[in-house]
Amino acid sequence: MTATRRRRRIPWGAYLRAAVILVVFLFPLLYLLNTALKSNDAFFADPVGLVSDPQWGNFPQAWQQGGFGAFILNSVLYTVGGTLIGTLVTLLLGFPVARGYIWGGKLWSIVFVVILFLPNALITQFQLLLKLGLYDNRLGYVLMVGAGVGIGPLLFSGFVSSVPRELDEAAAMDGIGYWRYLFTFVVPLAKPALTTVAILQGVWIWNEIILATVLLADPAKFPITRGLYNFRDTYSNQWPLLAAATFLVAAPLVVGYIFIQRYLVNGVLGAVKG
Amino acid sequence: MAQSFPFPRRASMRVSFTLALMMLLVFGLIPAVAVLVVSFTDLRGLPGIPVNWVGVENYVSFFSPAKWGDSVNAIRNTIVFAGVSTVAQIVLALGVAIVLNQRIRARNFVRAVVFMPTILGVTVTGLIWSLMFNVTGGPARSVVQAFGGDSAFFGDPNLAMALVIVVQIWMVMGVSVIIFLSGLQAIPEELYEVAAIDGASRWARFRFVTLPMLSPAITANVLLGIVNALQSYQLTYVLTGPFNKATQVLSLLVYVQGFGGKSGTSLSQSQGYASAVSMVQFVIVAVIALASLWYLRGREVRL
Repeated sequence: MTATRRRRRIPWGAYLRAAVILVVFLFPLLYLLNTALKSNDAFFADPVGLVSDPQWGNFPQAWQQGGFGAFILNSVLYTVGGTLIGTLVTLLLGFPVARGYIWGGKLWSIVFVVILFLPNALITQFQLLLKLGLYDNRLGYVLMVGAGVGIGPLLFSGFVSSVPRELDEAAAMDGIGYWRYLFTFVVPLAKPALTTVAILQGVWIWNEIILATVLLADPAKFPITRGLYNFRDTYSNQWPLLAAATFLVAAPLVVGYIFIQRYLVNGVLGAVKG
Repeated sequence: MAQSFPFPRRASMRVSFTLALMMLLVFGLIPAVAVLVVSFTDLRGLPGIPVNWVGVENYVSFFSPAKWGDSVNAIRNTIVFAGVSTVAQIVLALGVAIVLNQRIRARNFVRAVVFMPTILGVTVTGLIWSLMFNVTGGPARSVVQAFGGDSAFFGDPNLAMALVIVVQIWMVMGVSVIIFLSGLQAIPEELYEVAAIDGASRWARFRFVTLPMLSPAITANVLLGIVNALQSYQLTYVLTGPFNKATQVLSLLVYVQGFGGKSGTSLSQSQGYASAVSMVQFVIVAVIALASLWYLRGREVRL
């Protein structure tokens, strides 16, 4: 039976369509790389032509002129800090709510849905940080993006039911405290859900640009998105340099994505199914 | 009522829950509710300027003849952007998901590539596509010129919105594809076999098996797409800037009115008015989301 299955006709049509999809999603990136490797003269002489004399120097030049080292450091700080806070909030809220240990019952699940539909609070977020003395402050920005938990609590509390309630009772019988139980039992067991929550929020924080514009004023505190946007304004007529800068920012994301890709795609798939 | 809590000290849970809730309240929910309050004031944003209650003046102003041009423009842009990008994204994503659901080699690789722009984010995506539609010699211009035409792309008010929608679809389609793939994988193979025995054509199998079975995935995608697109403005900001009338959606109007298009402090800002714009947008999002949810749920097939 397997032999006849194996001799199934090769679906050429599907391969052709998959190839078209690949081109649509990869061509812009490859074109970016092609442009990044040109000299300014070569770009203006023939913008769309394939690069003949690669200018590797564009990359260090863009890195230096854009001051990307400091911006990326800021982005790492904001993303790691905000994601840790957001994931912790998700865990501490989601677990007792999903278990019904907290007074209020179904009401909390409604709160978790309402979070997704809140109005654009750009103005009041700015005013809040101003009042708290946290405007143009790294800590203020981290707290604000950390609270942007989005779909996290909803996703996580949906997952908690896969941790059997009997485990809570058994752990409690053995005299394990609530905090220790959360971090040594729930966290490892809920790792797929928590990882998905963390990655979704991390991606959101890393890419945030308008909150960064509104809540931070000092360029020394800008994340890389803001740094790259400013670089665009300064070098808008030098496409090879601009392309090199964009590629420098995109490259670590693509490399990082290769590693988390399986986790992320499966995590989102699982979240959709659950 | 609350379930019995098995651990010896209930206080440890109460404290941690309250701390997390405070975090969410202070930085998430309170600012959101405060938008409504601020929308009834003449808050300007600069510290030291007195703030007064103005009642519904900001809302009246939003619908007044003097501002109506900008208001209706932003409302129309928001709805066109959300409507067209959601529909087009779902149709295309369904097509891509069907291709990637077939037994072909490297399909996991293609799936990963389709999902990649979500990671790249608005700034990188925006710059990549600014390059693609660059008037000083982007590849799109070469193609247009090859057919004897020319175009200013994002500089063309009639075209800018369409191009932003194209880029938006490219950026967020991966998520829809994933949702459709999970829906497709849940369809039992037997349904197709029965349909084939009955002599159903490929189209008939798609129309009467695939589509109805995917209706929950379609609901999820429509809702997610509409809510995201009605609120999204970061990509538009990167691609065309906040002041371009052709693409100025409500969120960008909030940003321009509240901050003069810049960071923090500027004299031109009228944050009370901007908050009223936020509330109008919120109502539009809520009405459209609830209406589409009600309509789609009614059409869903139950297993």
